[in-house]
Amino acid sequence: MPQPPHHTQLSRRRFLTSSALVAGSALTAPLLGACNAGTESGDGKTVLTIMYKNNELTKEQIADFEAKNPDIRISFIEHDGTRLNAMLASNEPPDLVRAPAVGSARTNAQGLATDLDPYLAKSSVLKKEHLLPVNDSFRWDGKRIGHGPYYGIIKDWSQDATLWYNRALFEQAGIQPLSTAEPISYDELLEIATKLTKKSGGKTEAYGLGVEWAWNLFAPISTMILQQGGEVYNTDLTKTDMTTPQALRALKWYVDFAKAGVGPTSLDPAPDGADLSLFLAKRMAITQDGYWYGGNFVKESDEIKNNIAMAPAPVMGDKRISPTYAGWGAYIPAKAKHKDEAWRFMEYYMAGPPSEDRAKGGWGIPALKSQLSLMPQELPYQKQVFETQQAELQHAGQLPDSPYIGGATAWDPVLDKHLQRAIKNEVTVEAAGKAITDEINELLRQGKDQIG
Amino acid sequence: MTATATEEARRGRKRWQRYSSRTFYLFVSPWVLGFALLTALPLGYAFAISLTNFNGTSSQWRWVGLGNYVEFLSDTDAITSLVRTLAFTAIAVPIMVAGGLGLAVLLNRRLKLVGLFRTVFFLPSVVPVVAAAIMWKLIFNRDAGILNAILEKISIGPIAWLVDPNAFYALIILILWGLGGGMVIMLAALQGVPAELEEAAVLDGANRWHVLRHIIVPMISPVIFFQVVTGIIFTFQIVIQPLLLAHSREVGQVTHVPQSTHLYMVQVYEEYFANNRYGYGSAMLWVFFVVILIITLIMLRSSRLWVHYEVDSEAER
Repeated sequence: MPQPPHHTQLSRRRFLTSSALVAGSALTAPLLGACNAGTESGDGKTVLTIMYKNNELTKEQIADFEAKNPDIRISFIEHDGTRLNAMLASNEPPDLVRAPAVGSARTNAQGLATDLDPYLAKSSVLKKEHLLPVNDSFRWDGKRIGHGPYYGIIKDWSQDATLWYNRALFEQAGIQPLSTAEPISYDELLEIATKLTKKSGGKTEAYGLGVEWAWNLFAPISTMILQQGGEVYNTDLTKTDMTTPQALRALKWYVDFAKAGVGPTSLDPAPDGADLSLFLAKRMAITQDGYWYGGNFVKESDEIKNNIAMAPAPVMGDKRISPTYAGWGAYIPAKAKHKDEAWRFMEYYMAGPPSEDRAKGGWGIPALKSQLSLMPQELPYQKQVFETQQAELQHAGQLPDSPYIGGATAWDPVLDKHLQRAIKNEVTVEAAGKAITDEINELLRQGKDQIG
Repeated sequence: MTATATEEARRGRKRWQRYSSRTFYLFVSPWVLGFALLTALPLGYAFAISLTNFNGTSSQWRWVGLGNYVEFLSDTDAITSLVRTLAFTAIAVPIMVAGGLGLAVLLNRRLKLVGLFRTVFFLPSVVPVVAAAIMWKLIFNRDAGILNAILEKISIGPIAWLVDPNAFYALIILILWGLGGGMVIMLAALQGVPAELEEAAVLDGANRWHVLRHIIVPMISPVIFFQVVTGIIFTFQIVIQPLLLAHSREVGQVTHVPQSTHLYMVQVYEEYFANNRYGYGSAMLWVFFVVILIITLIMLRSSRLWVHYEVDSEAER
């Protein structure tokens, strides 16, 4: 038994005091460390922290950028919304962040992004006049999107309401394939989808139409409302009204679609939450996806490649509007430590070799005017898609974006909940529209209260 | 001489006291530090956030006092999800505990290959929850799932397992998939029951049910109690399984979780990450903490009536 000569008894109070000190030190050390973290590496290079997705920003691209910019080393963080929030809240954001243009109003209204206009003015490779209008969704004038400075740049994008279909399934059903030049109406589309759907013994052997229900409800419903000349928000973006005739017609179409059982919904879920596997398995005749979808088919069998085609976005009114539902790109946080270096990366990634590779790959429409001609046309289906897409570009509209609500992320749970109730005949479409209006207006009120 | 010996003995006792106290604090300090840093601090932080309208990113938050707690009282979605979670727990926990005990009783025998069976039953509980949920999502698929294919052979179905109201039962089945963990604990407890007690009961004419009811269950009641309490806390905190079983494009998407599996933690998740209401979400968590605390205290109180310890508490005093 150890018997130290002079040792005072460790009191409970002293123990708790010591514990608090140790705990405090343990907490403070990383926080203090974080203040200096990510600014400079041991070799004197600037460490540029980039939060992106690893399948969109490859190791090869990072290495190429670092080779061309020997004073910069990239610290890559996989995109994680929760982590980003924590980093933004602690004023330690990444230097460049992956984000969609549609839904950027909320970020911009909170002053979280950097005004890119001065950089665009100085740049020789990435200038305002190079940008396609789709980038306007990243603009914010303090009140609304589409005007004012740019707060982000789109990487690539798609007009996500366009239709992809399998001609073979149309032939089997004895139905004329969709026009690749003229848009079909939503009502006609539902009618054709019903004819293309094959059911047997309570199971669905083949769906007529997939609308990527699990991906987005807000954007397509908003598009339908805009096509009819309606509005999603009031002028100051603080309220919505989903009881207007335009909104109710859009909601009703979704209810009719689900009741007809012609495509996956929350009440008839797709196995993996997406249409692609069903479409490739020839268990879905039409799927509503943007231009990017074509990238999936390049390595598929000739049977698939020879039978697929893309049709324009369907319409629900007099206005032919075919917007992007997201427009993924990047912004430089307002509190980023290395904005100039981040801009150099932005130039490389949005206008340099990665952007050219993306344009040639067919996984999205380039966001720069000069790169539209790079879109692939080698394969027969790519030629058809290119022609349809060029015509569709003339109708690219812009989805509404309120800074007081988190876009589809906030809208979709509310829309899905009340659409389900209407589909199950628990409420009328009108009652669903009223309930959606009330819930979204409450979220808008809370958002307004938060942002001011 | 006597005084010196007494003084020496007194010093010895003091040294021992110092040594004991120092050793005690040294050994508990990792836990105390862990508790302070990883539990008490986040709890305090969450409570502070619950008094604000913080949205996770904006620096323009403000104090709202008990506003979030008051709002909770009139939030029908939150209250409904709480009631649903209580119902889910009331159904799932008894099945989990009884199932674990049943499997343990079956496998607490000297049989050939019993080790293999124990391993087979235990294995699912070590399968990562994400893998298990995705596997079950495929099994539950209405059109191509193996479960409906089997049921079809006996002219049942097809059943839409992943939508309301069946999603509730699908979630219970998914939770029961990890029964093996409870089984192992029950098995360990069963092996601590003295064989002579069972033999004596059998000699007195008791059948297997009587032995189980009057010998085994009382003997292992502390372990059953432990399983019930941890089972309740586990089912209360379920969030990832409903998200994974839902019709979603990516993990963590809360949009399409069916109403029947929209449990309390899913509602909290929605407030945090879909609505960016960190303040309100934190208030919901604190309410839940209190609910769990109350239920645990009730369980502890009720345990006096049905949990039997080998060392009598009165005698221990």
